[in-house]
Amino acid sequence: MNKTLARDLNMNTLLLKLAVTPAVTCLLTSNPIAAQVSPTTPRAARVQITQGPAIEMNKEFLTIVRWTTNNPGASPEHYGVVHYGTDPKNLSETAKSPIRLNPDHASTVFRVRLDNLKPRTTYYYTVGSEEANGTDDGAKSAVKQFTTPGESQRAGRSRAWD
Amino acid sequence: MKPTTSISTVTICAAGIAAVLLSSCTSAIQRNKDEKKRVTSPYNPYPPGILPGDLNSEVERVLREVDLVENRALARWHALALPIVRGQPPTLQNTGTEAIETLGELMNFDRNMSPNRNQACMSCHMPYAGFGGPIPSVNLTIIAYPGTAHFRVGKRTPQRHAYAPFFPVLQYNQTQGLFFGGNFYDSRATGVLLRNPDAEQAQGPPVDTQEMGFPDTACVAFRLTTAAYRPLFELVWGAGSLDIKFPRNTEAICDIPGGASTFRGNTMPIDLTPEDRTKANDAYGHWGQSIDSYEQSVQVSPFSSKFDAFLAGNYNLTADEMAGFELFNGKGNCNSCHLDGRGTTLRPKQHDTGSAATVNPLFTCFGSANEGVPLNPRNAFYYETTPDSLGFVGNPYGFGYRDLGLGTFLRSGFGSGPNPNSNWTQFAPSVDGQMQVSSARDVAMTPPQCPTTEAGSRPYFQKGFFHNGYFKSLKQLVHFYNTRDKFAFPVTSGHCPPGTIEKVTCWPMPEVKNNIDMTSGNLGLSDKEEDQIVAFLETLTDGFTRPYPNIDVFTGTCMTCNPVTDPNCSPSRQGNGSLIPTPPLPSCASVICSAPPATSPPIP
Repeated sequence: MNKTLARDLNMNTLLLKLAVTPAVTCLLTSNPIAAQVSPTTPRAARVQITQGPAIEMNKEFLTIVRWTTNNPGASPEHYGVVHYGTDPKNLSETAKSPIRLNPDHASTVFRVRLDNLKPRTTYYYTVGSEEANGTDDGAKSAVKQFTTPGESQRAGRSRAWD
Repeated sequence: MKPTTSISTVTICAAGIAAVLLSSCTSAIQRNKDEKKRVTSPYNPYPPGILPGDLNSEVERVLREVDLVENRALARWHALALPIVRGQPPTLQNTGTEAIETLGELMNFDRNMSPNRNQACMSCHMPYAGFGGPIPSVNLTIIAYPGTAHFRVGKRTPQRHAYAPFFPVLQYNQTQGLFFGGNFYDSRATGVLLRNPDAEQAQGPPVDTQEMGFPDTACVAFRLTTAAYRPLFELVWGAGSLDIKFPRNTEAICDIPGGASTFRGNTMPIDLTPEDRTKANDAYGHWGQSIDSYEQSVQVSPFSSKFDAFLAGNYNLTADEMAGFELFNGKGNCNSCHLDGRGTTLRPKQHDTGSAATVNPLFTCFGSANEGVPLNPRNAFYYETTPDSLGFVGNPYGFGYRDLGLGTFLRSGFGSGPNPNSNWTQFAPSVDGQMQVSSARDVAMTPPQCPTTEAGSRPYFQKGFFHNGYFKSLKQLVHFYNTRDKFAFPVTSGHCPPGTIEKVTCWPMPEVKNNIDMTSGNLGLSDKEEDQIVAFLETLTDGFTRPYPNIDVFTGTCMTCNPVTDPNCSPSRQGNGSLIPTPPLPSCASVICSAPPATSPPIP
């Protein structure tokens, strides 16, 4: 039996079945598309650091700097930025970590990872933040410092932020 | 010439010709059989214990379930009232929507859409798991599912189909500096051509070498020509839409899994005329669109969860569920990515008095993020370094493979797909390691007889969470968000220091350290608060306001354990009995981590 004939027979069979079969209650309906993306919210008139910066975690392999600002608004993806170095007058290194703003929240916590720092070394740093396109939020801290643990030390201080 | 002699000569010639033809035909059949024999020789490069012991029986179990649902869909099709073609442009009035949705369902459950006729889309995406992975032992171990060629296996967990159709076409938002949309964990199903990522996602597995595995996209059209539902296809997409002059060797070609050395890298081995190739491509597009139509329907994405009932005022969240909801929006900060439809920027001293979403929230922002998930050495993909019987090698880089997700896609890199927009490539370093933010809906869906995903005193359905299935329970998932940085150790999985418990008080280092989202990692949630968020996630499971179609087809066995005798019989330690030590990791393969634009910082 060639394919065309088989197809015609199948179609005729279908039509015959449809002719004698009562209508089926519609079970399949399409859903309205509810597109949603993270909203871009109005930029805060002024962004201020309200808590910190401080060292949230200082292990031999990982240091995390943490601070809080009022919600800066604008792009939902923001970056915490830490400028750091061993000379307080030359903070030549930069670390950036993304966070996602929550438009429900009045404040925003920024946390930045610093990986693979040298052991037993004092680092100086400032913090700031920026939008996804690099626009600075305008808040910047004073220079602060921390000292990394030695290689032989186990995990340093690490606590959940209250 | 005497007639008898002529007849004798003709007879001899005819016999000779017949013998030649028969010989050729026999040779072809024998070659086909030889190929099939090679195809069916199992590929097993895995060390002992990597593959679950019940893999074959479970794959067969799922195929039986696939056939069951297919039969239901066939019955529904045959009961469908014929749509009336009306209007300008001509439109299938009345039951046109049901026709295309039923067509999509039939396609999804068609095991003939694979060279060995042994794998349907739904072999890896069954309804009772939210259209996610249907085999508990696979979810616990190799996390990805074997394809038509056993045991080639992919590298990621099968994503849930529910609510996938609502993702927009992949776009780069200049204002937000983010990518949104697409389908697949790495967003490589962009929707660029069909203007629908979910439809383009459906086009992927049929020609994925480690999945359904056709060697040519035209094989989809070819198998559609003999599908039982061909009349429905032509009703929806047009009479003659499958009238394609396939060469005689098409069947033999489509019986061989893609990637076989015999194809020598040719992804269009079926020799079609340009006109017929276009027709086959159109059918391939309609394949995707039909499947998308089904996945968008209430059969798959019905918004029928407890949370939807709560939004409608028809269900009161329990105390724990409500607490979890508040944590989801508050201290947990989950809704910064898993959008719940709320959102008001508050001024100083202003309090949030907004009510919950009155629209149907999808619990995703359609974006991507790198949450710093550890490398999972159980992933079968790492072991596929040798050729199978067809000469195909799944992963020549072994443990030198790193999953950069969206970053790899933007570079059109190994294991992903071609990036159709060269303007996006420059952003690759900023998205290395990022995986799509899945909808949280149906993350906790299980078959009714296995009422939970969490190990304990009740039977449970084992799942694998995140792209590499590293997390084995919702509790672990939430605990990771809560404590990833608090319990961070510079180790790989299987090497947590003495005195710590992996996934409880020890998180191995991220597979990809670049671009880690620091919104999570040290949330300060208590153990109880974590449990409350899990309770809230469980309210997002469809099937509360009305039954979820085909959730009843699971015929497997729930997992059980004894919390008294088994220390890993708890959501916190679930799956820890299957942990294996990660071998010493070689450097990331240069083809992945040195492909331009370079990763920043470099990935070791």
